[in-house]
Amino acid sequence: MVRKKVVINNPLGIHARPAALVVQAASRFTADIFLSKGDIEQVNGKSIMSVMMLAAEQGAEVTVAAVGEDAEEAVQTVADLLQSNFEGKF
Amino acid sequence: MRELSIRELLEKYGRMLGLNILAGEAGLDRTINSSDTNRPGLALTGFVELFTVDQIQLLGNTESEYLHSLPDTRKHEALGIIFQFKIPCVVVTGRDRIVSELRQLADAHGVPLLQSEFSTAKFNHLLHFYLDDIFAPQITVHGTLVDVYGVGLLFSGRSAIGKSEVGLDLVERGHRLVADDVVVITRKVQGILVGCSPELLQDHMEIRGIGVLNIKRMFGVRGTRREKRIEVVVHLVDWDDDFEYERVGMEDHVRSILSVELPEIAVPLFPGKAITVIVEAIALNYLLRVEGYHAAKEFNTRLLNEMQARKISRAPHSDRE
Repeated sequence: MVRKKVVINNPLGIHARPAALVVQAASRFTADIFLSKGDIEQVNGKSIMSVMMLAAEQGAEVTVAAVGEDAEEAVQTVADLLQSNFEGKF
Repeated sequence: MRELSIRELLEKYGRMLGLNILAGEAGLDRTINSSDTNRPGLALTGFVELFTVDQIQLLGNTESEYLHSLPDTRKHEALGIIFQFKIPCVVVTGRDRIVSELRQLADAHGVPLLQSEFSTAKFNHLLHFYLDDIFAPQITVHGTLVDVYGVGLLFSGRSAIGKSEVGLDLVERGHRLVADDVVVITRKVQGILVGCSPELLQDHMEIRGIGVLNIKRMFGVRGTRREKRIEVVVHLVDWDDDFEYERVGMEDHVRSILSVELPEIAVPLFPGKAITVIVEAIALNYLLRVEGYHAAKEFNTRLLNEMQARKISRAPHSDRE
């Protein structure tokens, strides 16, 4: 399993629109992708409701993990997106 | 642009509009292309700038009284001003006596002279009521229109994707079919789109493998309805792994029909998917939005509040760091 820890930078956190982008990006990989935050156990990174459930606010630490053929790339992509500010759009 | 001859106007709507023809029968094939009328009061006095010639010329109380007030020699002259133009017809409202010069001129110029038993205001109102639809912008689209919980859903998508099957399934569940395969859409006032079936196809549907079905015969009167306002477009698409389907419902997509924008929802299909239930949810969610409740936005507000609270509770710790 590949893992990476990131800190959320987006001022409004991972709300509906950023979450949709994260799920969209995650869904392009065949690897299973999991997100976890503090006491919230792993949730499916390809499920919109799960990602929103994290309620990952600015400053929160989120761990991205993946298992599968393209796990490395998947973790990198999703982690980059999570710590981005979504081009200031949201 | 659609046209209606005065002959058709009399035959189809004469009774409803309280119309009788008095003179000028030779001109019954003259046509109108709108339900607007022109009051030629000022034209009778000689002012013909901006005189709208191609509309029904409506002589109400004011015009009739004015004509009666003129000396006989001037009556012919005044009316001659409007009859010099190529007008479709003249309608006199009310039961007042008609000046004889009007009949003479109508016959001489071959312009139908009609009298309505109704008042000017009522005649205008009825004329719009019956004729607006005829002259309203109209197009025909390929699709299926169903009334689901009172919401008009227009299904679009490629041939054979299953629009009719969805329609049939919905009728089975108590909803009402308006049109299948061909939907005639008319733009009414204020951007309202109303769809109906071409008369020949009404109440019928073709299901591949069975053939033509009469939905009204199969399900009774509750199974179909004649027309319905179109409120949402449901675009059925083949499932495509690369297509980004709407997940949250924050983004609103629109489809423009006759320059009217309608919300459009793309629903991916694959064999065995319970599409009917999804369609019912689309209709119910739309009803909630009309009432002002937007589930996706409300949920997002809840999420944003939760994150804001966490951010604040985190603040003192980060100060110490």
